[in-house]
Amino acid sequence: MKHSIVQNLIAGGASTILHVLLVLLLIFSFEMPTEIRQFGQPEVEIVQATVIDEDLVLEEMARLQEAEDKQRAAEEERQQKLDEQLEKSQQELARQEQELLDMQERAKLEAEKRKQEAEQEQQRLKQEAEKEQQRLKELEQQRIEQEEARKQAELERQKAEAAKQQAEAERKAAEQAKQKAEAEREAAEKAREAAEAKRKAEEEAQRKAQEEAKRKAEEEAKRKAEEEAKRKEAEAKRKAEEEAKRKAAEEEAKRKAEAKRLAEAKARAEAEASLQRQLDAEAKQRTQKRIAGILDTYGLQIQQRITRYWTKPANAQTGLLVTLEVKLIPGGDIRSVRVIKSSGSEIFDRSAENAVYKAAPMPMPSDPDAAQKIISEGIEIYFKPE
Amino acid sequence: MAMRLIRSLALVAVFFMPFQAFAVLKVEITGGSDSALPIAIVPFGAEGQKAPEDISSIIRNDLESSGRFAPLDNQDLVSRPTEQSQVNFADWRLLRSEGLVIGKISSQDGENYQVQFQLFDVYRGQQLAGKRYQVPASGLRALGHQIADVIYETLTGEKGIFSTRLAFVTQITAGDGKKRFALQISDADGANPRTVLQSTQPIMSPSWAPDGDQLSYVSFENGKTEVFVQQLLSGQRKSVASFEGINSAPAWSPDGRKLALTLSRNGNPEIYVLELANGDLIRVTNNAQAIDTEAVWSRDGNDIYFTSDRGGRPQIYKVSANGGRAERISFEGNYNASPDLSPDGSKLAMVHGTNGGFYIAVQDLKTGSMQVLTESGRAESPSFAPNGQMILYATEQKGSGVLAAVSVDGRIHQRLSESGTVVREPAWSPLKK
Repeated sequence: MKHSIVQNLIAGGASTILHVLLVLLLIFSFEMPTEIRQFGQPEVEIVQATVIDEDLVLEEMARLQEAEDKQRAAEEERQQKLDEQLEKSQQELARQEQELLDMQERAKLEAEKRKQEAEQEQQRLKQEAEKEQQRLKELEQQRIEQEEARKQAELERQKAEAAKQQAEAERKAAEQAKQKAEAEREAAEKAREAAEAKRKAEEEAQRKAQEEAKRKAEEEAKRKAEEEAKRKEAEAKRKAEEEAKRKAAEEEAKRKAEAKRLAEAKARAEAEASLQRQLDAEAKQRTQKRIAGILDTYGLQIQQRITRYWTKPANAQTGLLVTLEVKLIPGGDIRSVRVIKSSGSEIFDRSAENAVYKAAPMPMPSDPDAAQKIISEGIEIYFKPE
Repeated sequence: MAMRLIRSLALVAVFFMPFQAFAVLKVEITGGSDSALPIAIVPFGAEGQKAPEDISSIIRNDLESSGRFAPLDNQDLVSRPTEQSQVNFADWRLLRSEGLVIGKISSQDGENYQVQFQLFDVYRGQQLAGKRYQVPASGLRALGHQIADVIYETLTGEKGIFSTRLAFVTQITAGDGKKRFALQISDADGANPRTVLQSTQPIMSPSWAPDGDQLSYVSFENGKTEVFVQQLLSGQRKSVASFEGINSAPAWSPDGRKLALTLSRNGNPEIYVLELANGDLIRVTNNAQAIDTEAVWSRDGNDIYFTSDRGGRPQIYKVSANGGRAERISFEGNYNASPDLSPDGSKLAMVHGTNGGFYIAVQDLKTGSMQVLTESGRAESPSFAPNGQMILYATEQKGSGVLAAVSVDGRIHQRLSESGTVVREPAWSPLKK
């Protein structure tokens, strides 16, 4: 198979090359050597021998023989195919060669044809140069003829000039007539123009009047617009002023209201503070009253207790009076007993002091304020025999 | 509105202002307890020879008998200190004891004793009194009374009367059926009686001289009434009034130089004043229709209080010691007799008869108000203690005359003698000078 592919490739490549060569031949030369390569027989594979078991060998040999037979058959078949292919290729080559020969023939014919055409062209160019020579001669002839015609024309022109001057005079007369007519026409024109001017003036006046009116109207409108604008502006200004005024008034009112509110708040706060002070004072007074009430009761308690413990001197005379200042500690025990004002009787004073000591610990009011007051201020106790 | 409120509140505040500064709690104690002063008397510590007298017991009894003290029972004493260093005042405060008495007695030979005592103010932890003595064994009892006097005076401000004496008349019926009368003197507590005069005839109206060294009395020993003056130490005596008729009711003037007497030498019992030095006699009363007797001197010696029935019933009158118009003093009830003037001259003790009974009463001479002090209906012969706190009197108990005393406020009652002996006509001595 390998070989066939190569062959195909080579065949393919060869055909391509052939085509190229043919083209080259056509272009450069018709005498190009043609080389055809003959491919050789393919090499037979060498089988390496391996002695194994005799039977196996036999078997193998048989198998190999068989394979060889098969291979040979295949080879033969392949060879046949290759031969066929070769045949085909040779036929193809023959065909291509025939085509090449055809082409060479056609190229020969072509060249022949082109040579004939060039000869024809040479002939034609010679004829054309002859024609040009002829034409130049004709042209000189024509120039001479035209010069003569020009001189003739000058004469005719001078003649025409005279005729023209005459015509000019005639024309001037005609011109004067024409001017006259023109003046008349102009007068008429002027009249017409005057009328036209008048009309135009009138129209202009009218237009102006209209424009004036229009202007006035516009001015009026403008004025009005301005006035309106002014009015509006004034209005706006007024409004703005009013607004400003109103705002100012509002501000003022607001400020005043605020001031009033503040003043009222202040007054209220002061009143409240005052009220609070009064309430505090009242609360204080209530507390004091409460304390006073408690102290009244407490005083009775103390009185009873101390009286119970007071061993009054039997000979204490009416009129004796001792004043003690008694300080207590929170538990009701005695911190100190001091004679503030003596009765004059040491015995009487001592009996009073002892009464206080013996009465200790004193009861204390459960009310902390009252108790605090008693502790902080002490108690003044008067002792009288009767 | 607000302003008005504030204004009215302000007014309220002003109105209340004066109440804000109320003063400290003021308490007035009046009356007080009439109970006795609690005192702790710790038995004295003893060293050396045992003392024949229990001095602390004498002190305790004296103070207790006065009614003014309530000594703690010994069993209640929390401790028994004998020196100051052993005293814990807090203990005694717990007992509500106002006073604490501690002391020591020691003797080497059993004849002379060293005694010391201290009186403390329990609440201040201070010593109020303290003394040392050296006495013979025989003086221990008197020393006990003396210490009691110091304590009493220290704590009451009044003179103690435990060292004073009582004079009285006893009457016994002897084995032979005859009556024996005796003028006796005892300690103020009735103990330690000793006889001044003994007689088979009645003895009446003993009266102490202001110096406490002499007694005058009425004796029937000569078959009639006769007034004697007797020196107590020497026993020497003399008759100072032996006039015809009645010679009775002697009363020493405050200066001790005169005796007021009741004499009927002119027929009717009248009050006379006898100048002891020269025997001069001044007739003070002169009312033939009435009996005037039982004179007692005012403290300034200018006037004499006496009993008179010149108004029909016995009442107390007062007259100048120089004579003159008598002024009636007692008005309550229809029987008031036997006056005795308190040492301070402010009160008159008397026998007040009412509803068939006789009671000891005291009249305040300033106010005229009278207070009956005794309950038994057979009291007689009131006599002020020299400190004016007690009134000694005679009364009957179970048919027998006994001595009793009552405090001037009627609160304290004491009985000073055992029944079995008839005891009458008591007189309390003045204080020892």
